[in-house]
Amino acid sequence: MRESFELCWHITRRNWAVYKKDFLANISPTIADPALIMVSLGLGLGAYLTDVEGHSYMGFMAPGLTVSTALFTSFFESSYGFYVRMTFENVFKAMLTTPIGVREIVLGEFIWVGLKGGLMAVGVSIVLALFGLMSDPWLLPLMLFVGVLVALPCGAMGLLATSYVRNINQFQTVYSFLIAPLYFFSGIFFPISQMPQVVRIIGYLFPLVPGVALAQSVFWSRDIAASFAFNGTILTLQSLIFCAFALYRIRKKLEA
Amino acid sequence: MALVHSHQLSKSFGGAPAVQGVSLRIEPGECFGLLGPNGAGKSTIINMIYGVVHRTGGELTVFGHDPSTQSRSIKKRLGVVTQDNALDESLTVEENMLLYAAFQGLPAATRAKRVRELLEYMNLAHKADSRIQTLSGGMRRRLVFVRALLGEPELVILDEPTTGLDPAVRHLIWGKVKELRARGTTVILTTHYMHEAEILCDRLSILNQGKLVALGTPAEMIKAHTPGFVGIFSKNDEARLKAVTAGFAKADVVEDSSGFHVRVPELAQLTSIYQSHGLNPLQIRPANLEDVFLKITGQELMSDA
Repeated sequence: MRESFELCWHITRRNWAVYKKDFLANISPTIADPALIMVSLGLGLGAYLTDVEGHSYMGFMAPGLTVSTALFTSFFESSYGFYVRMTFENVFKAMLTTPIGVREIVLGEFIWVGLKGGLMAVGVSIVLALFGLMSDPWLLPLMLFVGVLVALPCGAMGLLATSYVRNINQFQTVYSFLIAPLYFFSGIFFPISQMPQVVRIIGYLFPLVPGVALAQSVFWSRDIAASFAFNGTILTLQSLIFCAFALYRIRKKLEA
Repeated sequence: MALVHSHQLSKSFGGAPAVQGVSLRIEPGECFGLLGPNGAGKSTIINMIYGVVHRTGGELTVFGHDPSTQSRSIKKRLGVVTQDNALDESLTVEENMLLYAAFQGLPAATRAKRVRELLEYMNLAHKADSRIQTLSGGMRRRLVFVRALLGEPELVILDEPTTGLDPAVRHLIWGKVKELRARGTTVILTTHYMHEAEILCDRLSILNQGKLVALGTPAEMIKAHTPGFVGIFSKNDEARLKAVTAGFAKADVVEDSSGFHVRVPELAQLTSIYQSHGLNPLQIRPANLEDVFLKITGQELMSDA
């Protein structure tokens, strides 16, 4: 058990070693995307939308942007990133000749996307808090949990996509028909309470809607405990189910 | 006790058989060759030995463990020179090896020392800080050897170790394999080069279409399947040669791009072809493993197709 965890951790360290080689190029989209949305939609649309559920439009979007950061950072890592390592670089073939097994490769990947998603969510939250968009900055550490809980199922979705695509271009289809709709119907840009019930129910089957609701409760200091109990449980269940399914699928890819 | 033991080992991929009923014993300290044409099942057997491919029939034990359920215990004791280099392109030579030293379970304090020793051993110490992208093909191959040896393996699997390498690197690698053998390491080698198998292997097996078709020492195999000598004759002499060899077995007269290869049990028979028919062979050589391989895998018939 301990040995297996150590091996997972080495995989995580490997991903970090590669990530930091190109640190600026890797981290800049994570910062630039929410900043762009904040400036364009926040300042642009925000001039017309002065009261969205009692918030300025910037104030309304802020918590959701931490969640979308966790989504994109983990999904892209475990889809394109993992696919390239598996198919073009063949690194797993070599790893599997060592005491590492498929379980360690996949769990090491989850530790990596979870940590990265959590830290990115905190990072973006710090910037937003500096702009006064967080009602109680002492709650910042809670955003680590929000980031991790969103990044894990999103990373698992990336791995599942990796296990199904037949070539790298097909990720674009996954993005257009799964990730983009989840992103736009997540409650980041408008309250999903105004959408038909079926949209809301489907939304709760994926990590974005509960993730955004959880981030909003933290940012707005509103029913935090209840939100963690409800949305946190949903995200934990999704993490377990999606990650287990992803492990099963990737095992079929790497072993025969 | 055999280090690798298989009995009626089989594997099929979705119904298509890749390995069928292979029974082998690989003893500690020997260099064992797995030969066969592309698609014969060599890599499938190798992958079953370290548990990435699971058998669908028969038995297999490695170090006494079942690779389907106890692959980690097995993988701690072996090193693999993989067919693809599969090095982490974005990391440096040393970073790559330190990572694999950790994967192999070496204690953190000893990793750097072990990596440095092996880089020196494979003449790569001066490249420690270079990115993989900047290495030549031969350097990458040597680095894969370093990677395979990090955990001081008792069993080293060489999966086509010298394919695509220039003769200098090939000889360097052969030298290292012989040193491993001298230290008592067991080696399993797959290769397409019969010469390589002949000089490195104590015993070897030939696989064809997933089945084991021959097993023995190189000398035994030559003696059993293609004893004698081979004379190579010019294609210009085709008509006269055909007349002389009319009574020969089909498998003993093989045409390829260099000419006609005529195999005879006794050297004197070649001399007599020369003396009584004036047919001068371009070259005369003892029959070798390549003749055995071509005969057994049936590829000598390719020229007829």
